[in-house]
Amino acid sequence: MDKMTGESWVTTTFETLEDWAARNSFWPFPFGTACCAIEFMSTVSSHYDLSRFGSEVVRFSPRQSDVLLVAGTINDKMGPVLKKIYDQMAEPKWVISMGACACSGGFYRAYHVMQGIDEIIPVDVYVPGCPPTPEGLIYGLLQLKEKVIRDRKRFREQGRNQGNNQEKNESVNAGATV
Amino acid sequence: MSTLAPLSETPETATSTVQELEAVRARFPAGSILPQDGLDQPTWIVSRDVLAAVARELKDNPQTQFDLMLDLCGVDFPDREERFEAVYHLYSLHRGARLRLKVPLREDDAVIPSLIPVWKAANWFEREIYDMFGVRVEGHPNLSRILTHEAFQGHALRKDYDPARRWILTEDKIYKPHFDLPPGENEDDMFERMTVNIGPTHPAMHGTFRLMAVLDGETIVASDVEIGYLHRCFEKMSETHTWQHVIPYTDRLNYCSSFINNVGYCKTVEKLLGVEPPPKAVWARTILSEFSRIMDHCVCNGTTLVDAGGLTNFWYLFQPREEIYGLLESVCGARLTVSACRIGGLIQDLPPDFEARCRRLLEIIPPFVEDSEKLVNKNRIWIDRSVGIAAISGEEAVNWGWTGPCLRASGVGYDVRRAHPYDLYDTVDWEVPVLYGGDVYDRWRIRMLEIWQSLKIIRQLLDRGMPEGPHIVDDPHVALPSKEACYNEMEAMIYHFKLIMDGIRVPAGEIYNMVEGANGELGFYTISDGTGKPYRNHCRPPCFPIFSTFSRLIQGGSLSDAIVSLGGLNIVAGELER
Amino acid sequence: MTQPIAQTAQTPPSRPVLRPDAPYPNTVKPYKPGFAERLYLPLLGGLMVTARHFLRNLFGKKMYTIEYPEERRAYSHRFRGHHILTTRPDGSVRCVACFLCAQNCPAECIHIEAAEHPDVNIEKYPVVYEIDMLRCVFCGYCVDACPEEAIIMSNNYDMAYFTREQSIVGKNDLMKPYTFDENLLGYRPLFPEEDVQRAKMRRDAFNLVEAARQAQERETAKAAAGR
Repeated sequence: MDKMTGESWVTTTFETLEDWAARNSFWPFPFGTACCAIEFMSTVSSHYDLSRFGSEVVRFSPRQSDVLLVAGTINDKMGPVLKKIYDQMAEPKWVISMGACACSGGFYRAYHVMQGIDEIIPVDVYVPGCPPTPEGLIYGLLQLKEKVIRDRKRFREQGRNQGNNQEKNESVNAGATV
Repeated sequence: MSTLAPLSETPETATSTVQELEAVRARFPAGSILPQDGLDQPTWIVSRDVLAAVARELKDNPQTQFDLMLDLCGVDFPDREERFEAVYHLYSLHRGARLRLKVPLREDDAVIPSLIPVWKAANWFEREIYDMFGVRVEGHPNLSRILTHEAFQGHALRKDYDPARRWILTEDKIYKPHFDLPPGENEDDMFERMTVNIGPTHPAMHGTFRLMAVLDGETIVASDVEIGYLHRCFEKMSETHTWQHVIPYTDRLNYCSSFINNVGYCKTVEKLLGVEPPPKAVWARTILSEFSRIMDHCVCNGTTLVDAGGLTNFWYLFQPREEIYGLLESVCGARLTVSACRIGGLIQDLPPDFEARCRRLLEIIPPFVEDSEKLVNKNRIWIDRSVGIAAISGEEAVNWGWTGPCLRASGVGYDVRRAHPYDLYDTVDWEVPVLYGGDVYDRWRIRMLEIWQSLKIIRQLLDRGMPEGPHIVDDPHVALPSKEACYNEMEAMIYHFKLIMDGIRVPAGEIYNMVEGANGELGFYTISDGTGKPYRNHCRPPCFPIFSTFSRLIQGGSLSDAIVSLGGLNIVAGELER
Repeated sequence: MTQPIAQTAQTPPSRPVLRPDAPYPNTVKPYKPGFAERLYLPLLGGLMVTARHFLRNLFGKKMYTIEYPEERRAYSHRFRGHHILTTRPDGSVRCVACFLCAQNCPAECIHIEAAEHPDVNIEKYPVVYEIDMLRCVFCGYCVDACPEEAIIMSNNYDMAYFTREQSIVGKNDLMKPYTFDENLLGYRPLFPEEDVQRAKMRRDAFNLVEAARQAQERETAKAAAGR
């Protein structure tokens, strides 16, 4: 039926629903090591209340979280730990790098500090600040939401295009054999 | 509040220790101890051969009683024949006296005897000097790297080490735990035991510590702690930046109360310079330090309860924090890492509504603290979880080098603000709370009592009124001239350029200066060689000796108690590992 | 290096904690709960506290939560946020490429390339002025260093980047997005007493002083009203 009508009402509604759910239920894994972790605590406490965005379920288990929130300096000793945590997270997963130290090493151009966590893991959103204000972090999270929706749309379109191409190819092949 | 120590009992002035020290010196062979005069505190240059005996004598002699080993750090002088210097800072609680021991060491023979038999506090400090300078310690039970990782090559604080040279840690190189097994246990029994690893990302370990515990059922037989997951090279960075630029770095030491770190560092440099900040700056520094202390205690007490499973308290205690953030932000423009001090004063003049805001805070904070006390103080669930847990007596705590609220919870009322008054603490009426339980419960309660004392100090200072005058010292060699002068006058403009291009010129010298941080004595041992950058800037972190005791504290307790006791110690990783 | 010269700093007067003959407390005296506590009675007091908070939040008017994207917290006019490069009346950059900000930056995140200015009175201007926002620690040292008030900070904290390249903010971006609306200004030099002559001299720039004065007045008024 899908092939007959193209985009059916059912699938698009379901996709919208899916987008809505994905957008509003980021469960963060707070990889907090330093000053930024204190600001993260402020973000989840009552003045800023991260639960307004569906992210109050702070998970300390990588298997159950969607967003790795790296808050604080990552040094060379912590690096392998961070990598392992990231590898353990289930797809789809995103990374927010909070604060100057996690993003780029900040003003610690030093012998024991990793110059940005993107040395070892991919980062989706960088939030500058040392540490960022809770508003800054929430802004970063909202940006991530938009990015996620954008990416989902793009992937779907790509999938459809590929599907269409396949159909075309099949029909061409079918024509050739005939 | 009947638990306050009667301070009137303690003598008012310090007993002079000069003669006693001379008497001790006379007992050792001539030439093995050379006094160095003219420094901020009595200093001896001690030959390595007699170091252990001298330390023992200084501690046990009833005339000196140097029972608190505050600090051990290394200094590197590449040009000297005796290249390294191990510097000990000692303190006598009975006399209020300080002593600095310097042990010169040759590079090819950089070995010091371990002082763990005298002061247990030496344990981690000796590992640190080994890690940072490659000075080997004879007789140390576990001489391994402590701040840097296992794959690190070289010794980072040597002058010839490139500050940006990094080493990659691979997974095959990991720290081998050293378990201090109790008598009666031996390594062969270990296969019957279970070893549990917690951290470093486990929330109970606050994200940056790693605990390895050998368990018998649920009881901890032995344990070891690994740190270094937040070593950010503060001391090396200090050596590569100008005196003013170190201030933002000090923010990130104890980030729960960054203002106190600013004050501690700026006071140290001001003393080296011989500059006195104006009364307005001193007044504001005292008030903001106390507000920062309240903030720090709120975080500590809030998170301790979270570790024990009580979340409500955390929300209540984070409310006053947000309000104090508002005040700090109105003074300097940042919430957490304030950088609000400058050498010689403050970043900017105080806002016009500073006093009004402070007064409003004095009304806002107490209800929340009261609520938190009502919730928890007499709550039997919390009492059962915390009374008698991780208990340590005053004597032992001093031996381990404790200072601050944790020491005061064990019955020793040492507070730098009282013992070595600085800023305006001597002019206000307040008390040092002391409790005698030495356990998690008393550490919790003493922080609450200190919040009330801090509020008392602030109230008195506000009643006194803001002093008139400038916010920063009027000395073009130290502080930037005002922008107005800078635009109008050629001379001010030249000073402005010169100060920024070259930095402050601090006269050569060395100093150890301390303030009461939120966790205890926060000291800075700073050496200047007369150039625009610190030659060596060592921070004496109050957490460091306290956390080195952790394995001893949790031994014999259950695993769940270990989690609660970590919260009660208020270990801040930024300060612990710098 | 030579032996450091001794500094003649005075040892502060100290007050010992214990009498010379007093021993340390070598035992612990833990807290002894009273009878009521052993019966869990004070828990009722705790319940009252939580109930009070619950009811107050449910029926009271004042909520603590700031509904962030819609509602913004009133930060002061010293907030250290995104940087602003100020402009001359003709819209060109005010900076004279003296490199003081780059020199005074602890994070070394400011990159400037200078060139000759066509106007001989100005000498130099920056062809490239870039700030690496991810390196920046927002300490305000660049503002302190600037002798021209060419760089100041704004109240803006809404920053997030998807790539490292985006985060290197160039001259145009630093100049463009902000009007000199006083509400957007953050950390900048303070002028408590500005006389008329000075104000005239600086009229070609934006009127920071007036903005600062008004802001201070407003703050005072607000504090007075709050009291």
